[in-house]
Amino acid sequence: MPELTVVGRPVVRKDLFRKATGSGQYTVDLELPRQLHGKVLRSPFAHARILHLDPGPALKLPGVLAVVTGIDFPVGYWGSHIKDQPPMARGVARYIGEPVAAVAAVDEEVAEEACQRIQVEYEPLPAVYTIEEALAAEAPLLHPDLLRYERNPQVCRPQANSNVLNHTRIRRGEVEAALRRAVLVEEGEYRTQAQEHVSLEPSACLARWERDGHLTVWSSTQCPFIVREDVARSLGVLTHRVRVIVPDVGGGFGGKVHVRLEPIAALLSQRAGRPVKMVHTRYEEFIASTVRHPSWIRLRAGLDAEGRLSGWQAEIYFDTGAYSDSGEMVSWQTALGGAGPYRVGDVAIDTYAVYTNKVPAGAFRGMGWPQVMWAVESHLDRLARRAGIDPVELRLKNALRDGDETVTGERLEGVGLVECLQTAAEAIGWGKPRPAGHGRAVVSVMKSSAPNSTASAVVKVNEDGAVQVVTGAAEIGTGSHSALAQICAEALGVSYEAVEVTAPDTAYAPFDRGAVSDRTTFHLGDAVYQAALMARRQLLEVAAARLEAAVEDLELEDGILSVRGVPERRLSFREAARLSYVRHGGPILGQGRHLEEEIVPLHPETGQSPRACSHYKFGAQAVEVAVDPETGMVQVEQVVSGHDCGQAVNPLQVEGQIQGAVAQGLGYALMEEMRFEAGQVTNPTLMDYPVPTAPDVPPIRAIAVEVPHPHSPFGVKGVGEPGIIGVAPAIGNAVHDALGICLSELPLTPERILRALEQAGDSRPGSRTEIPAPWDPE
Amino acid sequence: MALNLKVNGRSEWVEMDPSRPLLEVLREGLGLLGARRGCETSYCGACSVLLDGQVVHACTVLAGMADGREVTTIEGISSGEALHPVQSAFIQAGAIQCGYCTPGMVLAAISLLQHEPNPTEEQIRQWIRGNLCRCTGYQKVVAAIAEAAAALGRGGGNHA
Ligand code: FES
Ligand code: FES
Repeated sequence: MPELTVVGRPVVRKDLFRKATGSGQYTVDLELPRQLHGKVLRSPFAHARILHLDPGPALKLPGVLAVVTGIDFPVGYWGSHIKDQPPMARGVARYIGEPVAAVAAVDEEVAEEACQRIQVEYEPLPAVYTIEEALAAEAPLLHPDLLRYERNPQVCRPQANSNVLNHTRIRRGEVEAALRRAVLVEEGEYRTQAQEHVSLEPSACLARWERDGHLTVWSSTQCPFIVREDVARSLGVLTHRVRVIVPDVGGGFGGKVHVRLEPIAALLSQRAGRPVKMVHTRYEEFIASTVRHPSWIRLRAGLDAEGRLSGWQAEIYFDTGAYSDSGEMVSWQTALGGAGPYRVGDVAIDTYAVYTNKVPAGAFRGMGWPQVMWAVESHLDRLARRAGIDPVELRLKNALRDGDETVTGERLEGVGLVECLQTAAEAIGWGKPRPAGHGRAVVSVMKSSAPNSTASAVVKVNEDGAVQVVTGAAEIGTGSHSALAQICAEALGVSYEAVEVTAPDTAYAPFDRGAVSDRTTFHLGDAVYQAALMARRQLLEVAAARLEAAVEDLELEDGILSVRGVPERRLSFREAARLSYVRHGGPILGQGRHLEEEIVPLHPETGQSPRACSHYKFGAQAVEVAVDPETGMVQVEQVVSGHDCGQAVNPLQVEGQIQGAVAQGLGYALMEEMRFEAGQVTNPTLMDYPVPTAPDVPPIRAIAVEVPHPHSPFGVKGVGEPGIIGVAPAIGNAVHDALGICLSELPLTPERILRALEQAGDSRPGSRTEIPAPWDPE
Repeated sequence: MALNLKVNGRSEWVEMDPSRPLLEVLREGLGLLGARRGCETSYCGACSVLLDGQVVHACTVLAGMADGREVTTIEGISSGEALHPVQSAFIQAGAIQCGYCTPGMVLAAISLLQHEPNPTEEQIRQWIRGNLCRCTGYQKVVAAIAEAAAALGRGGGNHA
């Protein structure tokens, strides 16, 4: 490969000047003439039939211009791979906080007051709040029409007459027999909590419905094209009527994938004949925007005499709340991770997404892998202790390497796991003496990418030689625009400065799935790369005609096109761009796409597939903690996070992504927990739901282990997600290392640690978790 | 009722109720959008501004309380292409991701460096504890503030 000149350099992002000077423009900052403000009336019941709804009193309030309710929308549902969610409750409300009506008024206060005047009569219905309740034989069904919803059967397999909206199965070999043969079998049960994204900019949108039926929506979203589809479905209009524009976005982390307020603002705007802006309060972010799926995970793993994993069984349940949002994708993706990044011999994995009467859970950095890896990596340390093997050694012995097969039977290449584990272990001082009360741990990290993720991009060269990349990628803070500019510049042979990535606007940009599952650098990066190559080819053709040379004899470097070996026969990039207009009647216009032809859906019974998703990412997480046995407080002293990011596009951004993800993982591991009582969030404020502040976060050593991806432009991979995945199990295992207590439930609060210490005092360390329910593998 | 505020060195008259939050007066009344709304309950710091040089959360300061005092927002610390050394350090260090917390963070840093021109890492972390950042994990923010302190110490800026 020729030497890279732009990719791999720590270039300064172009959006930072405006952000540093306070002139970044976010959706919350937008204002249109005659704009109204919308507010939502939300269900106070976790499950209730809406018997009667009277908007009359609200409409009488001066300053109110429109009121809409569920029945004002055409019957349209949205969702990722199963379309189960209406824009507003229609007949039935399924969680506390679900929109049942909305008002547009001259200001927020009037709109709020008008909402309170809307009269609603409910008939409460029996509700389920936990996975166990939802799975019980006599459980009330949240979605009696579950099998009638439109869905993608390759990813979403609901179970009839149940609250299970997806079940993904993986089977290889005979797991029962393998476990019988094992010299040691460890069973365990793990639980994780709901986590809120806490993007600093809340969900927000501004909708303007024109009288001719066209609709423009400005949205704080990660996925403009998903928002376009959701809005069009909700309103029963064609997508070309809906234009979605994305200004700067103040954080996403998976919380801004689907619509929240957009269809409601749009309908209000149509009714009022004026633009309508809607912004969630922080409270609404807690009670009515998606959260990370709580989970319940049961593992059984066997070791053979050589310390090799010989059988692995996992049963994984995700609580997806009242609607799927992305629950089917979370449960699908984590089936691939049910045994972590290990060669496990015979295997049986079942993942389920289950409806409950709570705020919907959705995408969140890591897509279920942080939950599953909490269980897998905690379990690996338990196995290591039982077997008397060093935990790092156990991992290295069983780690996936090049040429190994995953649990779905896919042969892997470009696996950087062993390097990451060794690097992290070395950096944390693994095996070196440690102070009393301190503990260390090293865990593996793995993450799948989303399947069938198409992407497209256009690269155009203006008449003055300026290059524009037109895509649907929102810049949510990850630096994706500068990464795409670097990829384009490198492929085209121009400088980073010459390339601009335009803000997404669905009216002009080609389709893209959005900034989720780390796909922007990899999937969209490939599309941009292809587009840049096409543009380059066109430039060379223009130059060839002018220089009277064959295209093959030309080279393009540093913005100069010249005949190889005859440098005086040359044309500047700018001249070529201008010539394209003058001589060829139009701009240089390259188009690129990323298509995953080789991806094969998982076999419905065995989950086997030669290629389940575009790629996997590997890494390792190491920590050192100090635990105070008197208070149960965990102090994280050191963090080392090593991730195989492929060829790093921008080392500074790679570090920033890892550090940010680790900090979110620290919150998840130690303090963040949404608490519920009968479906109601009981701590919906930043006071009662603290997130890490600067003193809570220790220095984080981010290490990029660059194992280039064989099929991506320049070998790049995404690295936004993996940093969060290993933090919780690393801390849990390090706490065990320090105090000898086994923890199975997140977050690791002082209360839980003190309780575990008490129990350990009763029954001495090494005690195994008892599994209460009978184990039923099939 | 008209309020008279001194914002970024200029005297401003705004027709607003003095019992409204200062943040609303800045954003809705004066169109200064750099101070951002993140929680409105004094927990996130996105709305931080300087009041007589002290960091305050503009969402919980009543506009009337700012009457006759010096308000500095992110728009007031530099102009044109020239940046305050703290801003340059944030950009160079990659201490900005989504940027929503950045104006508040920069102002908090400026007030820290006025109190303590050579802060330790621990002092920096403690000082910005009222400013949440959900993107960066704080590390590059802390490094940027330390770098700005060093630059100011070298005489790299005339703002401090
Ligand atoms: S908006 Fe003022 S502290 Fe959050
Ligand atoms: S950069 Fe996004 S919150 Fe700080």
